[in-house]
Formats: sequence, structure tokens, C-alpha cells
Amino acid sequence: MSTTAPIDLFHRTTSRWGRATMLAALVISLAGPTYLMFGLGYWPGWGPVLQAWLSIAAVFAVIWIAEPITYYPMLGPAATYQAFMIGNISNKLLPSALAAQNVVGAKQGTAKAEITAVTAIVGAALVHLLSLLVFVGFLGSWIVATIPTSIQQVFEYVVPAIFGPVLIQAVMSAGQRRTVVIALLCGAAGVFVLVPLVSSASIYAMAVCAVASVTLSVLLRTKTESTAEEEKSEVAV
Amino acid sequence: MNTPGIAHSPILWLAVFGVFVVIAVQSVVYLRAAKRAAPAAEMSHGELVAAFRTGAVSALGPSLAVVFVAISLLSVFGTPAVLARIGLIGSAAFETLSARTAAETAGVELGGAGYDNAAFALVLFTMSVGGAAWMVSTLIFTPLLRRTDDRIRALNPAIMAIVPSAAMIAAFSYLGLDEMQKSRTHLVTFVTGAAAMLGLQLAGARLKVRWLKEWSLGIAMVVALTAAGITL
Repeated sequence: MSTTAPIDLFHRTTSRWGRATMLAALVISLAGPTYLMFGLGYWPGWGPVLQAWLSIAAVFAVIWIAEPITYYPMLGPAATYQAFMIGNISNKLLPSALAAQNVVGAKQGTAKAEITAVTAIVGAALVHLLSLLVFVGFLGSWIVATIPTSIQQVFEYVVPAIFGPVLIQAVMSAGQRRTVVIALLCGAAGVFVLVPLVSSASIYAMAVCAVASVTLSVLLRTKTESTAEEEKSEVAV
Repeated sequence: MNTPGIAHSPILWLAVFGVFVVIAVQSVVYLRAAKRAAPAAEMSHGELVAAFRTGAVSALGPSLAVVFVAISLLSVFGTPAVLARIGLIGSAAFETLSARTAAETAGVELGGAGYDNAAFALVLFTMSVGGAAWMVSTLIFTPLLRRTDDRIRALNPAIMAIVPSAAMIAAFSYLGLDEMQKSRTHLVTFVTGAAAMLGLQLAGARLKVRWLKEWSLGIAMVVALTAAGITL
């Protein structure tokens, strides 16, 4: 009991505050445009508002539901609340969390991995907030004029530049080799089979790949090797 | 290009400040909770500091990329909306798409003729309501998933050791292969980044220097971007 009580407290605190802060951000982010609409009288009537909303919902409704479910197993409950408030999950927060787990040698699925992810995301959020505040808020377009366009052009490739190293880190932090093979195949099947067959699937294909990979990895996991013994001993504890 | 007058309304600045404060409060509470729970998870203070530093260092490159995108959109949305929507909460891809859709509904083009206060209000409203959907769905699903998570852990803890890796590797191999297909430069960038990380990981394991591991994502990204610059 003495070892799990602080972890339980961590989960309770982060869940309560995670929900409260997310709710606050939700209200504040809607307050601005609501003021423009009703405070300043720019409400265009229900027609355009619904039409605009329905056309984006048609594209994004699946993502709205799929993303929190897809990222939860990677982030855990505490970091999920952080991630969906700060944004840029796949290209910044998840890579930061994974890199930190790699440094401290935290095994996936443990309390240590979760605490590491939360701490790393706070570090990432600090850098993110500061860089936005300084570069966008204060310096703004001066930066664009100062930094040569050739460097700015290179930054258009920042996404593949992150995904390459992160995939390696994710592979190296995995406990079972079988999981790695299954997961890589699922990702490849998404790109080379699912999307070419169903072009509209590109919106939610990542979620499909992740769910398929989790399901297959759990069903086909190696039980005969050391993991089976770990399984037994952990259950016994 | 014209920025509608109300895009710089003090109320919008106040809202940006509010979101900054909320994220700061969350960060402080989370950090303290992590600090208190660390010993029970067999995590030293040094490891906590290393985790924080690695997260910060690894976010440098991606943050700078967001800054460039955000600045390019300043004239369309004004500083407060860019900070709140592109910088925080949302992603550039979603926000620009929903902004364009909303502008089309009003019969105007973003930044073009007729992009006035009324059009901007509709654009920002649509972006914000769309972004709110993510938060609502997170608020609904996270507690439900946690209950499932707890139940699985109670039945068979070994399963939850497999799940994060299975989900992450599948997600990043999907995202990575998708990027690689886009152009030769994308392919070169991805492969160089992966190779650099592999080299850094092996070197880090051999030399046992922690800073190399902490900076490995940052270094690998710079190497990959340099390769992109050469290929361009």
C-alpha cells in the first residue's frame, strides 16, 4: 500500500486538475469569439454558423473522437489532458515524452513512464509558450524579415525530420520484438493498403493502424518467454 | 492583405492571456504532483530534472517550426487569434482549413476583398467551436478509458506494457511512411533523421553520456534538416 498510495494520489490530482484546467481553457477559448458575435454584434444568424460548422464536422468529426482514444494508450490519463490543451501532439509532445522516457530508461506502461511523460511535456510546454510569446507575440514579422528564406524553407521539412528519429526511439523503447514487427506492419498496411483502397480513410487511418496494432500485439504477444514469468510474478504481487 | 480591425480587440488579447495562465497553472500543478509521486515510482530527483530538460530540448525544433507557420498567418488572423488558435490548442492544418471553410460560407476569401470584421468573427467562431470539440471529446473519453485501463491492469498488467509501444510504433510508422511518399526530399529527410538517431542511440549506449541522450532528438532533427537543405 505504501508504494501505490503516492501514485494513486498522482492520478487523482492530475485527473482533477487536468479536467478543471481543460474546462477553463474551453470556456476562455470560446469567450473571445462569443464576445465578437454578441458583444460587438457580428452574429450572422444560424444559417452561416451551422453551415460552416457542419462542413468542418463532416471532415473532422471522426478525428474529434478518434484522437483522444488513439493517444490515450501512448500518453496515459494525466498527459492526455496536457496534450489536448497544448496541441501539436504527434510532432512535438509525444516525441518529447518518448525522448525523456528513453533518457531515464522508463519501461512503457509503468508509473515511471507516466511521470516522465508528464514532466517532459511540462518542459516542452515551457519552451513552446516562451517561443510563442517572444517570437510571435513580441518580435512577429521582424523574424520573417531577418531569417533567410532558405532556412525557413528547410523548416517545411520539420515533420519528416521529427518522425524519422521518433520512430527509431519508439522501436528501441518497445519491450517485445514481436510488438515492433506487428506495429510496423500495421503502419505500412495503413499507407500502402488502406488509404489507396479507401481514399477518404486518410483522415482516420492512423487511428485504425494504432487500434489494429494494439489488438494484434495483445492477442499475439509472446507468453512463453520471460514476459510470461513477469506476468505471473506481477499478478502474484 | 488586410487584417480586420477587431482581430486586435483587447478582449481577444485577454483570452490569449487567460489560456497562457491556464496552461501555466496546469504545468505547475502537474510538476508538483510528479515530484511527489516520483520516489514511489523509483524515480530520482536527477531523473525528473533530466526528463524536464529532455522534453524542453526536444521541443525546440518543433516550436520554432510552429513559430514560422504562426508568423506567416499573422496578417490573416491577427496576433491574438494566431497565438490562441495556431500556437496553443489547435494545429495549423486544422485551423487554416476550418478558417477557409468558414470564409467560404461567408462568400469571401481569407485576407481577400470582403474579409471584414463580420467575416473574421465567423472565421474565429468556427475555428474555436471546432477546437472545442477536441476538448469535449477528451473530457468525455479520458475518464472512460482510464476505467478500462485500470480494469485491464488489474486483470493482466503485462498487457499494458505492450499497448503503448504497439500504438506508438504503428502511429509513427504510418505517419512516417506517409511523409516519405510526399517527395524525394521528404524521403531523404526521414531516412537521414532515423539513421542519425540510430547512430546517436548506439553511441549513447556505448559512451554512457547522458547529455547525448537528452539532446539526441534535437541533434537528429538538425542532421535531418541539413540533409533536407542539401537535397533542396
